[in-house]
Amino acid sequence: MIEVQHLTKRYGPVTAVDDVSFRVEKGEILGFLGPNGAGKTTTMRVITGYMPATEGKAVVAGYDVFTHPLEAKARTGYLPETPPLYSDMTVREYLTFVSRIKLGKTTKAERAMRVDHAMKRTHVDDMANRHCGKLSKGYRQRVGLAQAILHDPEVLVLDEPTAGLDPKQIIETRDLIRGLAGDHTIVLSTHILPEVAQTCQRVVIINRGRVVAIDTPDNLTHQLKGAATLYVQIDGRTDASAALSAIPGVSKVTVADQHEQFTGYEVESESTHDVRRDVARTIVDQGWGLLELRPTRMSLEQIFLELTTEDPEENAQQAQAGGNAA
Amino acid sequence: MSRTVRNIMAVAGKELRGYFSSPVAWVMMGLFAFIFGYFFSVYLSLFIRQSQGGQFGPQPVNVNMSLIRPLLSNASVLILFLLPMVTMRMYAEEKRSGTIELLLTSPLTDVEIILGKFVGALGLYAAMLAVTLPYIAVLFWFGNPEWTPLIAGYLGLFLLGACFIAMGLFISSTTKNQMVAGAATFIVFLFFWIINWFSDSAGPTFGPLLSYLSITEHFDDFGKGVIDTKHVIFYLSFVAFGLFLSLKSVDSERWRG
Repeated sequence: MIEVQHLTKRYGPVTAVDDVSFRVEKGEILGFLGPNGAGKTTTMRVITGYMPATEGKAVVAGYDVFTHPLEAKARTGYLPETPPLYSDMTVREYLTFVSRIKLGKTTKAERAMRVDHAMKRTHVDDMANRHCGKLSKGYRQRVGLAQAILHDPEVLVLDEPTAGLDPKQIIETRDLIRGLAGDHTIVLSTHILPEVAQTCQRVVIINRGRVVAIDTPDNLTHQLKGAATLYVQIDGRTDASAALSAIPGVSKVTVADQHEQFTGYEVESESTHDVRRDVARTIVDQGWGLLELRPTRMSLEQIFLELTTEDPEENAQQAQAGGNAA
Repeated sequence: MSRTVRNIMAVAGKELRGYFSSPVAWVMMGLFAFIFGYFFSVYLSLFIRQSQGGQFGPQPVNVNMSLIRPLLSNASVLILFLLPMVTMRMYAEEKRSGTIELLLTSPLTDVEIILGKFVGALGLYAAMLAVTLPYIAVLFWFGNPEWTPLIAGYLGLFLLGACFIAMGLFISSTTKNQMVAGAATFIVFLFFWIINWFSDSAGPTFGPLLSYLSITEHFDDFGKGVIDTKHVIFYLSFVAFGLFLSLKSVDSERWRG
C-alpha cells in the first residue's frame, strides 16, 4: 500500500533522510520510531507529497507521489506534527472547507454527512461550533485527526498523533487509531516507545536519517538479546562467578548488582545453548539459595538506545544536524 | 463546474471567510470608506465653490473632471497603503500556523491554491471598492455625472489593485513573517509608483522604459475616462507576472522544505 524506495532528502549540505526503504502492507499499522531530528517528519512529508525527495521514490496506493501527486494525495490523510487548523474558523467550518478541497465533486449534503461522521468518530462533535483557535491541545489534535480521516483515505500518515495529550486522551487516541487500522493503512511516528509496542504491528527504527531496524515489536525485543542472557539472583554475598562460568555454553558472567541480602549476576551464553537448567542445578548443588532466574529481554527502550546511541561526539554532531534539518 | 474552478472557488471562499471573520476585512473597508469619504467631502466643497464661481461669477464645471477624477486618483494612493496589509498575511500566515501543510498535501495543484488566494483577496478588494459607491450615488442623486469615465475609473482602480495583490502574494510567499511581508510589499509598491519620477533624468533609452513600468502612468488614462487596451494589457501582464513569481516561489519552497 505504501512503498518507499531508496528515499533520500537533502537540505543543502545536510542529509535529513538517507536511502530509506520500507513497505507497509494494506491494513497494517507501521510505527516510525526515532529520536527528534532523525528524519521521521521529513520521510512523512515526502510520502504525503508535501515535498519532493532528492532521490528515490514513494508510491502510495499505487501512485507515485511525485509523478501523480493528485491521485496519491486524494488517497492520503495526513496529520502533521502541528494540526493545520485555521484559528478563526469553527470546527465545522474548518472541516467543511477540508471536505471541499479533498472530496472533489460531491453534493453539499454528502459533504455535511462526511463532516458529521468524522467529528463523531474523533469525538469532537461537542465542539462543532467552537473556534479552532480556542480549542485545547487535545481537541486540536483530534480535529486534526478528523481532518485526516474525513475523505476516508486508504493511507493515513500521522506525525506524533499523541504528542501533547493527557494520559486519558492518549489511550483514546490509540484506541481510535487501532480502530482505523484494517480499513486504512497507517504510518505513525512517535518517540514514545510503549506507544509503538501497543499500537503498531511493525516498527521502523530510524536514526540520523537511516533505517537501523525494521521488525515487529516482539521480534525486536527477542532477537537483539533475548534468551541469550539470564539474570540470576542468589541469596547472600556468595561469589558464584567461577562456578557459573564453568557451566558448558556460558560465555561470560558478570556481577550485576550486589546487596546485603543477595547478589545478582548476568549470565551470557551462546544463543544456541539453553543453559537455564544447568545454571539452576549448579546453584542448588552448591547449596546456595536461588532467588531468581529469568531471561532478560531487552525492552524496546534499551533496543532503541542501543541502536540509536553511539559515542557522545557523534551524538553531538547528530543533534546539530537534526537541529538544522528541523 | 470543472475540477480546477471548483478548487479555486473553495480556496477563495476560505480566504474570504478568513478576512471577514477576523477584523481584517472590516478594518480595511472601514478605513477605506472613511478616508475616501474625507477626500469626497474635500473635493465636493471645492467643487461647489468652483461652481458658484469666484470673482468671475458662476463657471460651467464638469463633475467628472473636477470631482470624480481627483477622487479616484486619491483612492489609488490609498490602496497603495492599504493593500499591503491585506496581502502580507496571505502566505506568511499559512506558513507560520502550519496550515500550508494542509493545502500542499490536499489534492490541489499549486496553481489552484495561488489563484484561489488571489481571487479571495480580489473579492475583499472589490468589497472595499463597493463601500465607496454610496458616495458616487450621492452625485447621481444631485447631479448627472457621465457613466463612462466613472466605469473606466473604477476598472482602472480594480486592475491597479489586482497588480498590487499579485505582487503582494508573491512577496508574502517568500517569508514566514507577516511584518516583513507587509513592509517589503509596501516598498515594492512604492517603487513601482514613483519609478517614473526618474524617467526625465534617465536619458532617452531608459526614460520611456521607466515611465512605462510605472503603475501610475497607466492609471492616468483610466482616470480621464479612457479605457485603452495598452493599459489593460500592461496591468494584466503585471498580474500574470506576479502570479507566476508566486508559483515559482511556492514550488521552490517545496524543494527546499
